[in-house]
Amino acid sequence: MKVRKILRKLLMAAMLVFLSTLGTLLCRQFSIGPQRPSPAFRTFGPANARIRIYEFTDFACPACRTANAHMKDLLRVYKDSVRLNFKHYPLSTVHPWSFDAAASADCAGRQGKFTEYADLLFENQQNWAFAKEQPKEFLEYAKKLKLDLSAFEKCADEETTLRQIKLDIAEGDIKGVNSTPTFFVNGKRAVGAGQLLDLAKRFDNLLKELKN
Amino acid sequence: MNEKTKDMLGLAARLILGGVFIYAGFLKTVAPAEEFAYAIEAYRVVPQGFALLSALTVPWLEIYLGVFLIAGLFGRLSAGLAGALLAGFAGLLLQALLRHLPITSCGCFGASKGNSPGYELFQNLLLLGLAALAFKYGKRISLDALLESHEKHE
Repeated sequence: MKVRKILRKLLMAAMLVFLSTLGTLLCRQFSIGPQRPSPAFRTFGPANARIRIYEFTDFACPACRTANAHMKDLLRVYKDSVRLNFKHYPLSTVHPWSFDAAASADCAGRQGKFTEYADLLFENQQNWAFAKEQPKEFLEYAKKLKLDLSAFEKCADEETTLRQIKLDIAEGDIKGVNSTPTFFVNGKRAVGAGQLLDLAKRFDNLLKELKN
Repeated sequence: MNEKTKDMLGLAARLILGGVFIYAGFLKTVAPAEEFAYAIEAYRVVPQGFALLSALTVPWLEIYLGVFLIAGLFGRLSAGLAGALLAGFAGLLLQALLRHLPITSCGCFGASKGNSPGYELFQNLLLLGLAALAFKYGKRISLDALLESHEKHE
């Protein structure tokens, strides 16, 4: 009798464990739950915007460069309705300097020049992306933007800077990001500039729906 | 205090504690484990590798304990384990306070935001009180009670 009682309880426990695991994993997969915001210097648009975009990008990826231009247009056109959280997702296995580029961009961001630095990285991608040695361009861009160079260099090696990027990567992994650029527009996934623009065509309708 | 009041208190404690555990565990499982691991490392008690292992397991343990507490399955055991976990968290917070460690996020409800260690310690002690109530009086409206009554009828 007692064994049967314990077995029943164990069976129920197994069912509860299974259901709660499944529920949690589904929430994780479909981005249900709070989203990790990016640092302020790589968050764009008003905090109360109805359209929220999370962009996972690699500075050395050509498709990301194309998408960056489109994203700028979207932010300009929908400046009151779109909030962009820029996330790093350096594909270090194919782009050896992506991680360093992301760290440099964040360090420029800490000095208020993230966008400008990111633009330089994208524009001159072919100069540094496949360099055999540590690209000197990262420091050159910092000079060009008149950043505090000693603070910039110190920041690029700091654990907090590197951790922030590693967290972005881990977040992308949880969300199943496996190529760049990947966007999540109000939770909906778009991979590449083409899919982003497809979603963007519906922004007007989406804004109307969200308003009603 | 009559039996009914005790039962109601026990039930409320079980539900509140279960809800808090599920919420805390959920916030951590939908975020990167590394985030919680960094928060654990800040307490300077466990080595780096163990911090990541804890960050991967503790949130799931919290979710399961929360579900068991709400369902009232293995009620006393779940409340006891929840209490032990809370006592462990309280110990971590207390040593951080005593050592004046620069804890920016306690990691309790995800690592992105948090209150001061002192506030979190106070909150932990309250939850520990709820765990004690759930342990002692938490049998009302539970799967444990349902199974017992079912067996009596068999």
